[in-house]
Amino acid sequence: MTIELIPADLFTLQELTDLYNQTRVDYLIPMPMNADRLGEYVHDFDVDLHHSSVARSSDGQVLGLSMLGVRGQIAWITRLGVLPASRRTGAGSALMDCMLENAAALGIQQIHLEVIKNNEPAYHLFLKKGFVETGNYLVMRHAPRPMLNPPQGEATWLDFENALQQLESYPLHLTWINAARSMRNSANTEGLHLRLPNGDSGWLVYRNTRFTLRSTLSHLIMHTEQGDPSEVGRELLSHLHTHYSHHDTYAENILENDPHLPAFQALGYFTNFSRIEMRRISHTQKYTAS
Amino acid sequence: MARILYIEDIQDNITLVEKIVTSRGHEFLSARNAESGLELAFSSKPDLILLDLGLPDADGQTLSVWLKGDPALSLIPIIVLTAWPEEVVRQTVEAYALNGYLCKPFSLAALVNMIDSVLGTKTI
Repeated sequence: MTIELIPADLFTLQELTDLYNQTRVDYLIPMPMNADRLGEYVHDFDVDLHHSSVARSSDGQVLGLSMLGVRGQIAWITRLGVLPASRRTGAGSALMDCMLENAAALGIQQIHLEVIKNNEPAYHLFLKKGFVETGNYLVMRHAPRPMLNPPQGEATWLDFENALQQLESYPLHLTWINAARSMRNSANTEGLHLRLPNGDSGWLVYRNTRFTLRSTLSHLIMHTEQGDPSEVGRELLSHLHTHYSHHDTYAENILENDPHLPAFQALGYFTNFSRIEMRRISHTQKYTAS
Repeated sequence: MARILYIEDIQDNITLVEKIVTSRGHEFLSARNAESGLELAFSSKPDLILLDLGLPDADGQTLSVWLKGDPALSLIPIIVLTAWPEEVVRQTVEAYALNGYLCKPFSLAALVNMIDSVLGTKTI
């Protein structure tokens, strides 16, 4: 099959949304979007639609798409998907080659992506294209529930700039969606700093996303400055869920061995699914598909 | 007869469930995203909500929190109809205090039994 690759900026957001949703209709965890959400996604995660692609057959049928986020010398491949009827035609491989060629043309040195655990076809495609595993992450949920004990310590609520200031001091790696740049791109970023009576301290940065009728919490990043992360984390989350007692919470990309994980579990978070982060280092400027 | 609201983004699924629900003599309403589903729940006060978890604006878990958080809607039973892995759905139903679930693909009989069970009616 002859596959044509077209820059995604030649399509409307609605057309890209419709195509993306069709590629995910039988996905392990179907997560459809609307055009507004895709627009936010493109903005918040620095997706470069000109260097993203839609795959089309020679008879004009769309087959799939892939997007490329670009930040300086680092890129992120996301939203890769092929329509169910067009799988095993080489479309996914062609889209990946296109992303790698576009990244090379931009002088990108390192490319990141994430794949849902147990999505074997995608995982093996990424291995074949030179990606290696760099971390395992959990995507967790928390339903509102009454807090049994009042939170301990003195909480200081942080506005956008103060939350970002904390996050930009974070010493460890964050995946693309939780990186400081992603959080700075969203006006919904807030945070809280906590000091416990014994002097232990830490902070939590998150998004408080407002819908037309309600709001929800997501993108939690936690750091313990001093003390036991499971204890500091538990009190940070207790303050958060006491303050936002009716909010649903979606914590994405929590490192599988994050020392704060016991705090999430103690507060009733449960795992929805796992993701594997993978990276590919560019050794040459120009990528040529093998 | 009950009024049943199905919140689901895929039209084929809506059409299929509508046939099943109306064949049992129930009134059927539908919405294709979370915010219109919430508005329709407010305006129609259904007896039962069938809820997909994968919705294009806010997802089904978040919508269930909005529904359960409103005094006018909090007592409406919610059944999850989803293609998500069963263990995740089971935990979701428990954590979000929902009333039941069916994992796709499910049989006509399973849906009828679940609706009847939650509404407290007998299968004919």
